[in-house]
Amino acid sequence: MYNILVVDDDKEIVNAIEIYLKREGYNIIKAYNGEEALEQISKNEIHLIILDIMMPEKDGIETLEEIRKTKTIPVILLSAKSEDYDKISGLDTGADDYITKPFNPLELIARVKSNIRRYVEFGNISKKESKNILKTGQLEVDDETKKVTVDGKEIKLTATEYNILKFLLKNKGKVFSISQIYENVWNEESYGAENIIAVHIRHIREKIEINPKEPKYLKVIWGIGYKIEDI
Amino acid sequence: MEKLRESVALKCLCYVLIPIFFLILIISISGVYITSQYGNSNENMAQSFVDSETFGEQYLDSIISEVKYIKNNYPTNEEETSADYFRYSQIDVDNYDKKVYYKAPDYYYNSVLYSYISYIIIDEQTGNLYTNIKSKDYNNEILNVQNQKIYWIYENQNITTSIDSVNQDNVKYLAATNSYYSIDNLENMKVYTWLSEEAFNYSNYFVIQQTIYDFFQKSPNAPAYLIFITTIALVAMIVYLCWAIGHEQGKKQIELNRIDRLSYEILFSVVMFIVGLLMSLVVLSAELRANQKIIIPVVLLEYLGSYVAFSVLFVSTVKRIKAKQFWHTFAIYRIYNWIKRTIKYLFEKITDKGNITKKIIIVYVLFIIISIILVGALGSFLGFVLLMAFWFGTLYLLIQYGKKLTMIQNALKEIYDGKPDVHLNEEELVGVLKRMAEYINDIAGGFTNAIEQSLKSERLKTELITNVSHDIKTPLTSIINYVDLLKKEDIKDAKIEQYIAILDKKSQRLKKLIEDLVEASKVSSGNVKLNIERINLKELLNQAIGEFEDRFQKKNLKIDLDIPKTDIIIEADNRYMYRIIDNLFSNISKYAMENTRVYIRLQKSDKFIEVEMKNISATRLNISADELMQRFVRGDKSRYTEGSGLGLSIAESLTEMQGGSFKISIDGDLFKVLLKWNIDT
Repeated sequence: MYNILVVDDDKEIVNAIEIYLKREGYNIIKAYNGEEALEQISKNEIHLIILDIMMPEKDGIETLEEIRKTKTIPVILLSAKSEDYDKISGLDTGADDYITKPFNPLELIARVKSNIRRYVEFGNISKKESKNILKTGQLEVDDETKKVTVDGKEIKLTATEYNILKFLLKNKGKVFSISQIYENVWNEESYGAENIIAVHIRHIREKIEINPKEPKYLKVIWGIGYKIEDI
Repeated sequence: MEKLRESVALKCLCYVLIPIFFLILIISISGVYITSQYGNSNENMAQSFVDSETFGEQYLDSIISEVKYIKNNYPTNEEETSADYFRYSQIDVDNYDKKVYYKAPDYYYNSVLYSYISYIIIDEQTGNLYTNIKSKDYNNEILNVQNQKIYWIYENQNITTSIDSVNQDNVKYLAATNSYYSIDNLENMKVYTWLSEEAFNYSNYFVIQQTIYDFFQKSPNAPAYLIFITTIALVAMIVYLCWAIGHEQGKKQIELNRIDRLSYEILFSVVMFIVGLLMSLVVLSAELRANQKIIIPVVLLEYLGSYVAFSVLFVSTVKRIKAKQFWHTFAIYRIYNWIKRTIKYLFEKITDKGNITKKIIIVYVLFIIISIILVGALGSFLGFVLLMAFWFGTLYLLIQYGKKLTMIQNALKEIYDGKPDVHLNEEELVGVLKRMAEYINDIAGGFTNAIEQSLKSERLKTELITNVSHDIKTPLTSIINYVDLLKKEDIKDAKIEQYIAILDKKSQRLKKLIEDLVEASKVSSGNVKLNIERINLKELLNQAIGEFEDRFQKKNLKIDLDIPKTDIIIEADNRYMYRIIDNLFSNISKYAMENTRVYIRLQKSDKFIEVEMKNISATRLNISADELMQRFVRGDKSRYTEGSGLGLSIAESLTEMQGGSFKISIDGDLFKVLLKWNIDT
């Protein structure tokens, strides 16, 4: 049973989040401003915090700064501010994730699960680490068993998708154009197969990413190519 | 130093001393002259004077004129003897057998030495005697003439005299140059004349010379000293005055008074007139042989009057020069200025009023008329020179005009190029050009203001929209979430389920609408930071097709892709570039008719890169391309389908922001988008 602290000055939003997360089996602790949140954190054992930014008196960023002085609990920022600038400053302050309002409940649940898993399994790093495991962040590809996992959850990929992912993961951090991917995976020159690769990559993204439009692992560099982020 | 300069007392002293010193200077110079003329002894002074040619000539002149008068006027018969006009009157003398005529010495001439000449003239034919002395025995007087110190006798064609310059030989010589002095004038006459030395004391000229001579005789070195001292003193005083004139206590600048503002020509003429008048007074009194009592005050008056007049001229001239107004006070300069201003004024009048065509015609006609007049005067060399000067002058003016026009054109170009912070100097221009410059300055100012205003208001608008969107998003979050929760409830009623579906759809649309609204306002106000890099358009299109593959497939849209084999590199911000394609593809996936083909073409030439997309609209496009481009307008006016209507507007702004052009066209149901980037070499 994990305790999740939900902080937002809008009570209806807090209630809605409570309904969604209770169904997933989490215990919810509610707070309606920064001060209350800090109080709850000192009183209870919290495993994850969902924190609104725009709140009266003490806002989300200030509260996060306070929390980060003592705790390493995962914090997901929840905000109506959707500018890149807002996301970056939020993540820089020490947030682990950022969700913009209005949010998709499924995405919220997925992100909560992912963050909890990472936080709880943090420290007891996978013991059965073999040489054939390719890894970035919580994305793992075991080339022996051909198994792909994200946040420990197994993902089913087709053979083509697997080969593409494996190639990119092997060269994580590097950007490859469609034809480079084709040539490397198929070992032959590409002739008009470009958008097929693009479709495969979209499929991979849809499977491994929580929000395929804002991918965490498989990034699209528009007009240049694709890469796996080295986390 | 300043005190010295501003001292009134010192200046007054100078004004008083100058005429005195000047007088001393003149006297000293004449002293030197007289001394050199008559030597050093008192005796010689009178003798030298008598010996001078001037004296002899004057002496002879007086005699001859008197004889001539007698010859021309003496009465020829008895009746006329007492004629009124004859200045001589007959007197009775006992021991002279013929008539004796007497005339008193002329008082008119009493300051002139020669009027003291005593004479006895005898007409040989009549034996009549004419004289200006009274005597009981004229024969005895005649015999005594030769005993006088200064005498001149003409008797039997012979001259006997004590005056060397008019002796027999010298008179002949004199007569050769001037017939007036000819002895022939004395024909048939006997003339006995003498001048007593006492007469010298009655001559102003002689007395003055004698006085000066006597004065310097006592101290022979005085004139040299006096000349030296007075010259230095005069120069010093004049230099001081030049330096000090115009500087008065409590005044920082030289102030011109009424006299100084008079036209210089007028002042000069008045001064010269006064001086001339005074001089003519002196000349007149000399002509009238006025006596010493009159002539000395007159000369003194003339001297002082002229001095005052010249002083006024001098002071005013110095002040004008020092105030840098000298030329400006000339009437000629003022007239020149007035003409210049009048011409300029007239020119402005001509060029400022009425329409330009009229002005051109007036100027052209003037040009022709002046040319014709000058051509008419071509006979002379001056006429030719004037014509050439006029033509070149006109050319010069035209060139100047052209330069100013170019200036205005450049200013307009600046504004056209989007740099409205231009300013033309209106003062340099006249007439139409001036007004043009004024208008341009106004427009430029207005533009700059308007641009600043609109930038500011766009920014404010964006901020407002962003802030409002935050406030809308919070309640919207609740709506979306609770609708989602409702969907998950076990609802039996199909009607309620349908209602919930509508709520779900509309709340999703509201979400999209707000996101697009924020983006559109940001993009259209230019509130976007571009991160320009080299990207491959071919790659981008392939990636985008990959992203949209499922959505196209859902509507069974076939993509007809026409892409070159080589990479197409363009400099752009890759995320915004994708936003353009994303918006267009998403439009296609929303509005294209099912089961049709979508044509996508990427093309590169030497001059441009083009991306073209064509699709068949599912609904009739009863709308113009322009209208379609406007924000919040969608293909169907009913606003029933999904989307915000901002997609095209955002795509257009982003394309233009990245240096491209965005064009859409509608041909029946065919919807076409053309993106174009010019390649600058």
